[in-house]
Amino acid sequence: MPSKKYLCIQRSQSGNCEHEPPSPAQMEAMYAKFNAWKEQFQDNISDLGGRLAAGGKVVSSDGATDGPFVEAKEIIGGYMILSAENLEEAADVARQCPGVTAPGSQVEIREISTP
Amino acid sequence: MPRGHGARIAGRDSRDKYALSAPELVENFFRHEYGRLVAVLSRQAGLRHLAAVEDAVQSALMKALQTWTIAGRPDQPSAWLYRVAHNNLVSELRQRDARTQILQRYPPVTTPSAGPNANSLMPGEVSDDLLRMLFVCCNDAVPDESQPIFALKTLCGFSVREISLRLFLTEANVYKRLTRARSRLRDHQIEPGELTPEDCAARLPAVHRILYLIFTEGHLSAHVQFPIRRELCDEAIRLGELLARHEIGQTPETYALLALMNLHSARMTARECATGGLLLLEEQDRALWNRNQMMTGFDFLARSATGDCFSRYHAEAGIVAEHCRAESFAETRWDRVVDCYLLLERIQPSPIHRMNRAVATAEWQGPEAGLAVLHGFEPPGRLAESYLWAAVNSDLHRRCGNREKAASYREAALNAAPSPAIQTLLRRRLANTSAPSSSAR
Repeated sequence: MPSKKYLCIQRSQSGNCEHEPPSPAQMEAMYAKFNAWKEQFQDNISDLGGRLAAGGKVVSSDGATDGPFVEAKEIIGGYMILSAENLEEAADVARQCPGVTAPGSQVEIREISTP
Repeated sequence: MPRGHGARIAGRDSRDKYALSAPELVENFFRHEYGRLVAVLSRQAGLRHLAAVEDAVQSALMKALQTWTIAGRPDQPSAWLYRVAHNNLVSELRQRDARTQILQRYPPVTTPSAGPNANSLMPGEVSDDLLRMLFVCCNDAVPDESQPIFALKTLCGFSVREISLRLFLTEANVYKRLTRARSRLRDHQIEPGELTPEDCAARLPAVHRILYLIFTEGHLSAHVQFPIRRELCDEAIRLGELLARHEIGQTPETYALLALMNLHSARMTARECATGGLLLLEEQDRALWNRNQMMTGFDFLARSATGDCFSRYHAEAGIVAEHCRAESFAETRWDRVVDCYLLLERIQPSPIHRMNRAVATAEWQGPEAGLAVLHGFEPPGRLAESYLWAAVNSDLHRRCGNREKAASYREAALNAAPSPAIQTLLRRRLANTSAPSSSAR
């Protein structure tokens, strides 16, 4: 079982206007591709996470404001947690996840260090 | 052996979400659910809200894509989708109309078991919403050219772009025809729930025409990839079989149409060779024919042989049945094929039918008899310029020994061929027709 955990944060450019919504046939293809990826890399998938809602809060010792940071050029869309032996392996698995590396979007991968 | 330690998804139980044994969704699930849900919700909310209905269904499918890939498929995917789409629609309509008359009739659905099929089954009435929608679009007010587009979009779940690819139209053209259909339907206020058996009986011929057209686009199209063509044929058959399950559709014409669609479809895989080229009927490997589907076709053919009306679908089914019955090209009962073409020409006179009869006559009684069918026949401009007309003439003249005529028709056929695959086929079929005076190769 891979020993390290990696947090994968998906980002896309803000103001990235929605492309044409996928047709039912396209959705079916995406569904199949995602399931195939899940099956292939099931040993590497620790937590499929999910999308992050648009609103939120930003909290600091000064108080709390509405978030996220409005000046952020990039919007964090979602996250997942992968297990891998090393960063290269985690990156390899993440890269093949359908929908993650669509045009205008990218994934940041950070090892979660555990004592 | 425990799977991934951290496989916690909120709200899920301890079932293994990544089990390989998880049942797959049936093929075309997303597209067919789109059609089903649009039909059900349109009946509930009314056709004037069709755009809102389609948006609500689209959003529900997107949510399914996002949620099911992460949290796994629900036990009852169709019920899940209905609940989400229904709630989407209600909240959208609530925003649009404060008077909320619709809300009072259709409160948000919270339990998955609230089924959409609470229809009283009155004899002679259409109980299936998808079928109702098919009859609704076969409305005199909707132009003929718009009806199949509406059906492909609303019932079959194809996008504008997918329709344009399949029918060789521009997206703008498809969109225009779709818009026209939608606005005519909105204006004419014939709701799916209001269709009477008389309405349906009157529209049945138009329903047959749409299904035949969709099937033909799939079957005869020589330009597009096989899976796309096959899909169109399958859609036409699917809707036809839905029609045949309801009393209103149980007529000899429906069965004849289903016979010809199934019989043609059963032979489709044999029409292409391994490299994707087209094969002539006599070249096709009959072992590749789908025998089960052929039996289905013959079954429908038998059921169509009732009553005293003989439609064009009967004639066409008869022709393809003769081809299917024959163990080989040589054993085809060409006299019967010619009979069917004669009947077809009587019901639906057409230059193409006459041309096909000439071909069948040549197989039955020799090339001179075939040419005699065409003797004195002036085909209309479009047919006269087509590669098929030239090819048929070239072949018949060659077999009669008229080498110069054969050669000139051959050249015309090759020039008019619409695709390289057809050109290759023609070269093969019309070989040995070069005029004796041409220089040696």
